[in-house]
Amino acid sequence: MAAPGKTAVLLKAVKKIVVQFCPFESNARSTREFLAVVGSEKVRATNINCEVLSTVKHDKSEPVVDITYVDGEVLVMKGAKLTSKEMLSTFQSCCVAKDPQAKAAAKK
Amino acid sequence: MEFTHFVSFLPGWLPLTQSVRHGSKAVTRHRKPMHITKQKLMAVTKYIPPKPAAPPGAYPSQTRQVQEESGLILLKKRQLKNLFQDFKMIAVAQNNGSNSEDLMILKNRLHKHGIMIKFFPNQIMQSFLNDSVYSNMAPLFFGPTVLLVSKNPKVKEMLTTLRASPQMTLLGACIEDTLLSIQGLMSYSKLPSVTTVQGELISGLTMLTSQTAVMLQRHPAHLSALLQQYIKQQSTDSTEGAPQAEAAS
Repeated sequence: MAAPGKTAVLLKAVKKIVVQFCPFESNARSTREFLAVVGSEKVRATNINCEVLSTVKHDKSEPVVDITYVDGEVLVMKGAKLTSKEMLSTFQSCCVAKDPQAKAAAKK
Repeated sequence: MEFTHFVSFLPGWLPLTQSVRHGSKAVTRHRKPMHITKQKLMAVTKYIPPKPAAPPGAYPSQTRQVQEESGLILLKKRQLKNLFQDFKMIAVAQNNGSNSEDLMILKNRLHKHGIMIKFFPNQIMQSFLNDSVYSNMAPLFFGPTVLLVSKNPKVKEMLTTLRASPQMTLLGACIEDTLLSIQGLMSYSKLPSVTTVQGELISGLTMLTSQTAVMLQRHPAHLSALLQQYIKQQSTDSTEGAPQAEAAS
């Protein structure tokens, strides 16, 4: 559950991650687990410039994760019906897709 | 039964009935059809082998195994009970990835205000909370959580200290048996202290009486002038009120 898996989550292409949830709601579990993984030391060390912000609300709203990439793209994940694994895998695939592009462009 | 063969004297003449000397045998080469009574007996006394039981893990067991709580769990629960009784303010925060240095610095800062950091396993916490009055706090305890407890509810200082560490996210707090959310905590921190509120209340209540006391203490001429003015106003009001009533009707 906690560990991101064989390929660690790379945050090189990520500018900002904003997580907002309501802790008294039962649907915020997966979002909290996602935050716990993304906010861990290992993952944050891949990109120190990336900010991880968390907002705690109390208005029975849905848990939402907003990820802003370096090239301006925004990935919005509504975690009410998602598991943390699904969110992590989507996030990882997006990151990996962006990262080799940047590396290849830099090399060229 | 024996029947003698009739031997004819005329050649070529055979009798109509030829009786046989032997009866039917028990052991035959073919399958002899069973008599109906024997069939019934065989059906009634047939052997029914016992059914093989399902393999041990196939079905969930019908009896639920309730494990007796080990000594450690009981100890932790007792500690929690004392915690809730002793400490007025219990705040819950999620720390995703603060290293030991950050934790130490945070502990030091909070200790100056008399706030302690406590760690408890989530399972024990949840089972304790569900049994006690504070069951609504139970959904807070998921993932890496940390308890911040203190005897005096010093919310402002706690908030300012936690703002310094980006990893700790406050989830909620239980102050004097009232469950508060983050917005509740912020408004609680903006409240003035009890003494100031008491002072304000007392001053508001005694405002009227103090005014009369001040009026009486001043020179009585002033008071008599005021009372005369009051009588004049009353009379003018009544005269104004009467013509107005006449004009209306």
